[in-house]
Amino acid sequence: MAWVWFHRFGSPPWVYGFARRWAPWFGAVAGVLMLVALYGGLVVAPPDYQQKDAFRIVYVHAPCATLSLMIYTTMAVSAAVGLIWRIKVAHAAAAACAPIGAWFTVATLGTGMLWGKPMWGAYWVWDPRLTSELILLFLYLGYMGLRAAIEDPQKADKASAVLAIVGIVNVPIIRYSVVWWAGLHQAPTKKLGADADMTGDMVWPLLMMLLAFTLYFVAVFLIRLRAELLRRERTATWIREVLA
Amino acid sequence: MSEFLSMSGYGRYLWPAFALGFGVVVLNLVLAWSSLRSAKALARRRMEMRS
Repeated sequence: MAWVWFHRFGSPPWVYGFARRWAPWFGAVAGVLMLVALYGGLVVAPPDYQQKDAFRIVYVHAPCATLSLMIYTTMAVSAAVGLIWRIKVAHAAAAACAPIGAWFTVATLGTGMLWGKPMWGAYWVWDPRLTSELILLFLYLGYMGLRAAIEDPQKADKASAVLAIVGIVNVPIIRYSVVWWAGLHQAPTKKLGADADMTGDMVWPLLMMLLAFTLYFVAVFLIRLRAELLRRERTATWIREVLA
Repeated sequence: MSEFLSMSGYGRYLWPAFALGFGVVVLNLVLAWSSLRSAKALARRRMEMRS
């Protein structure tokens, strides 16, 4: 089979149809997984021996934080694809990512502050992880602001793509800030098995919640992508057919 | 039940954190639907103007 099957992702009508068909399925599976993970995180998982029940904030904080980084990476890669190969759908995908990612960054910072207060005694400290996450929020806001400020859509696509690509440097900084610099934020919890940081009944709700949030993002992204394509393809004949 | 809600004394941090996180989940969905609705309305208006 020739490696051309993915070319259809460059076609706005095909992508619009794909998004319309699949968004409800991604959303439904995400909803079910979220409910099961919520039960696992709030009821099944035992309290942490140090943080007691406060540790359960991880079930909402970690998925939000993961999405804030994953969405930015998706946005920057889409912007780069759009810039290099001049694919309109890629620019639309990048634009669709930005508001979702910005909201998840707000949720990451907010839930982190609510976790920080009982653990560190303060809602906010200028810790490397918190500061780099705040910079991520400014990058999202800057990207959306730049798009909104330029009237010509093609110029807006190019300028915002450059900003998104430059800003990707902040993603590894956020990821490794807890390793590179000393701060209050804990290092990543990654050990499993006999000497695990978390027991199995603590881990499965977290992994399930991460999967649920990822599928949820895909569903919301596909809805936003449809809106973005409708706005961009204003003169296309396929719009008449899909709206009929 | 009150023991569950208290979350060993951390309920006043835990429940607002869950409300914020899942509030953003709901908000993102509502905003995405509203964006799609307005894009559809705009596209229909354009079609009517052109025809």
